[in-house]
Amino acid sequence: MDAVRFVRVAVILPLVLAAGCAATGTVLSRPGRGDVPTKVDLEQTPFFPQVDHQCGPSALATVLSASGLPVLPADLVPEVYLPARRGSLQPELLASARRRDRLPYILPPTSDAIVSQLAAGIPVLVLQKLGAGPWPGWHYAVVIGYDVETQVFLLRSGTEPRLEMSAARFLATWDRANRWAIVVLQPGQMPGDPDAGRYVEAAAALEAIGRNDAAGIAYQAAATQWPRDALPRLALGNVALSRGDLAAAEIEYRRAIELDPGDAAARNNLAEVLLRRGCVSAARSETEIAAALAGTGPLAAAVDDTAARVAASGNSDEQGCPAP
Amino acid sequence: MFKRLTVLVTCIAILNLGSPLVAQAAVIGTLQAAGDSGRVADLSTIGNALARSEVREQMLALGVEPVDVEQRIAALTDAELRTLAGQMAEMPAGGDALAVIGIVFLVLLILEAVGVIDVFKKFP
Repeated sequence: MDAVRFVRVAVILPLVLAAGCAATGTVLSRPGRGDVPTKVDLEQTPFFPQVDHQCGPSALATVLSASGLPVLPADLVPEVYLPARRGSLQPELLASARRRDRLPYILPPTSDAIVSQLAAGIPVLVLQKLGAGPWPGWHYAVVIGYDVETQVFLLRSGTEPRLEMSAARFLATWDRANRWAIVVLQPGQMPGDPDAGRYVEAAAALEAIGRNDAAGIAYQAAATQWPRDALPRLALGNVALSRGDLAAAEIEYRRAIELDPGDAAARNNLAEVLLRRGCVSAARSETEIAAALAGTGPLAAAVDDTAARVAASGNSDEQGCPAP
Repeated sequence: MFKRLTVLVTCIAILNLGSPLVAQAAVIGTLQAAGDSGRVADLSTIGNALARSEVREQMLALGVEPVDVEQRIAALTDAELRTLAGQMAEMPAGGDALAVIGIVFLVLLILEAVGVIDVFKKFP
């Protein structure tokens, strides 16, 4: 064996081995908050040993069942498995959860976020990159516990019901998978350490694919959880509008604007409601404010549209319209 | 005469296609409002339809049963369809557990070390 090849292996081998062990992120930090325990073991989480390359269906069945929806991996294979890829893609796991009226909530990319969910009793579905180079070893597993003292994460993984992985190694494999982790929630159920934007966006995805009842429950929960946030109010207004309840929609949009006068979307949508009521003058003032707020940003096109329709509606108001 | 009729019908069809787009664009949906404002939101309906169609083709090509394809697509958001379109063959597909990978990898590493194969030339 020539010298070059020897050197290559002598350098590569330790690096490759180290790559599996290197702590590219951080270790498991001692929780900063008193109510987060130093050790969690969600041993009651169901277990579905993986078959063939179907860690996607197994992992998803695990978290769906844990959320109160008994389902077997075999039920999920036709929803998430891609035979030619011998695996499952992340967006399809989200889609499959949504089809069953579960809200898939994508976690912030920190180990604290995983810990928060586990401390709240919710198992976490993660993507890991277990291999390297031409064999990336993409793998889905479910984190069911952690221990700060021994620096381990506990996973349901493949055919292992209780795989203890050192925190350093787990975080390295998760880091290489771009730190993708989700929990699946019942509509209305909050994740650990909930974030309003992430939660409403997740609920909005449910609405976008037509699961309106589930989305509505989630939006209501968001409005309760974050009473000073305008976004859940906009969401509730949109739900009311889509079922034709103009009065309810107007109430929600006005509430959103009260909470955030700079909410261009709420003002635009309020203008839409006012227009449908025949209150052209009031609609016009709202579109003017909305246009100023939207500027040249992503909402500008929709606002311009509304403004154009208001302009085309003449000048007279119906009875009982608010002053502009 | 028939040609004029065809043109007329086509024009009406296109105009009818046009109107719903205007009505829908005026109300700002929650997903649009909630999405990261840093993302450039390309909301072109044509673009979304193309993405949908491409994902459909890719799913079939990757072995999804035709009877399952529509339901799988229906549960994906437009943004997800755009991500998937053109990428389904390359995106991470979680499937294999480590044990199999690890053994294969180790064997290849050993074979490389003894000079039987030269598979790792891509490594820096």
